Amino acid sequence: MFDNRRIGIALAAPAALFVALAFIVPVAVLLSGGFATPQGWGLSRWAEFVGDPLSVEVFWRTVKLGALVTLACAVLGYATALAIVDAGPTWKGRWSGLVMLPLMISPVARTYAWIVLLGRTGLVNQAITGLGLSAEPLRLLFTETAVFIGLVQLFLPLMVLSLVSALENLPADVVPAARVLGAPWPTVFFKVLLPLSREGLVIGGTLVFTGSVTAYITPAVLGGSKVLMLETLLYQRVSVANDFASASVIALILIVMSVVTHALLRRASAARRR
Amino acid sequence: MTRPFNGMRFSGALALGAVLLFLLGPFVVIALAGLSAGDTLAFPPQGLSLRWVIAVFGMDNFRASFWLSLQLAIGSTALALLLGVPAAYGLARYRVPGRELVRTLLIAPLIVPGIIVGLALLRHAVIPLDLGVTWALILAHTVLVVPYAVRVVTASLDNLRTDVEEAAVMLGATRLQTFFRIVLPNIRSGIIAAFILGFVTSFNQVPVSLFLTGPGITTLPIDMLTSMEFVYDPSIAALSALMALLSIAIVAVAERALGLSRYV
Repeated sequence: MFDNRRIGIALAAPAALFVALAFIVPVAVLLSGGFATPQGWGLSRWAEFVGDPLSVEVFWRTVKLGALVTLACAVLGYATALAIVDAGPTWKGRWSGLVMLPLMISPVARTYAWIVLLGRTGLVNQAITGLGLSAEPLRLLFTETAVFIGLVQLFLPLMVLSLVSALENLPADVVPAARVLGAPWPTVFFKVLLPLSREGLVIGGTLVFTGSVTAYITPAVLGGSKVLMLETLLYQRVSVANDFASASVIALILIVMSVVTHALLRRASAARRR
Repeated sequence: MTRPFNGMRFSGALALGAVLLFLLGPFVVIALAGLSAGDTLAFPPQGLSLRWVIAVFGMDNFRASFWLSLQLAIGSTALALLLGVPAAYGLARYRVPGRELVRTLLIAPLIVPGIIVGLALLRHAVIPLDLGVTWALILAHTVLVVPYAVRVVTASLDNLRTDVEEAAVMLGATRLQTFFRIVLPNIRSGIIAAFILGFVTSFNQVPVSLFLTGPGITTLPIDMLTSMEFVYDPSIAALSALMALLSIAIVAVAERALGLSRYV
């Protein structure tokens, strides 16, 4: 009964046309702006980007923060996911629910909490001065550290959940078997658990990395104009300098980063199904 | 596997506790800061009261942006479902040429950072077509929610056996009747899940709307973001706590009723 192609096409056409016209076309035109020069097409906008020290600094900071956040989420994620899987069926669901909870809450609200905690008179500075670690309150906001902490908190749940679903599918006896055969815990982790949960790590890592690299709210609130990342730089170029050409260049860099990592993700999950 | 890691129980519990404190602690802080009786944002709060929670409801700018966000979330999610449900059905059941390509197209807005979608729409749709702020936002948020609608509804269509539909048609029902009387009731929970996911996504959305809001017309999260620069009283903390509660309540109800987590 489902052989009539025309019905299928008619059903899918409105949505496909809508996305093509309201998304693909505008984005494609925007990206092409990165290759437009007063004399026609060319790469001069890209040369400007590469030649601009601030842009290059922001690019490397974005990549660096993305990598560090992914690494931190992987370490914290494994510790948490192993404990959750170890907690038994009932508690596994409850702990997972608690980890998932922040994902549903507005990132603005999530980020704002760090202003309260990291401000000049915030809890962290109260602790630092109270313990006598520093006489003066430290400047914690508008630093790379603040952005790093904010991003880890924002994206850690994605890593934990990916790792939990990878680890809970392991056969029950691999860890006891390795232990009985005399492997110490580090060996069990690096030789058994890590290889067997690699797909979960790849999926979680991809989500965390693309999320961090393309984040706007966290660097905007916790980094400000002192710690720009690519998205906040793009926003500044448009709203302060009206410079749409370099915005197009940054946009293409962001899209390439995002699409490439998502392609890797697809490959990893396809390999898992095979 | 149940409890395979005996022996690391203690350190595991310690790690779990520390991570949960890190993930959830800030919400406790923001809620307490919002319940402060004092005039400036501080933690620990200077006495507890509902003063700022009540005050937030009386602030005209937040009230206006809250209504816009609410209408936007409902309107754009409804539009996305109107487009997404038939598309998901057509692609799941019929042999559409280039099916995988069309599916990728419909999911694509998820992969492209929101700020770029917003800027592209502003420069190459809103300005040339002279759209108003509200229409621009509805357009952008619909683009953003379509992938969720397609993905969640596709998942629940995949769980529905096609022989029920074939039986209905064989017994004389038209395709339209079959869709509305057989398919739709069976994927109802998928559609509700898609609606909630779309609603929360749109309501909390910042990057897509960033370039599209106009003077005096803005969404709640963007209003909060810009207010942060000059508001030093606990009102934004109170508002953050209220928004967090609202999202948690919606998701908790949905989880109880439908098992939303199956679709995320």
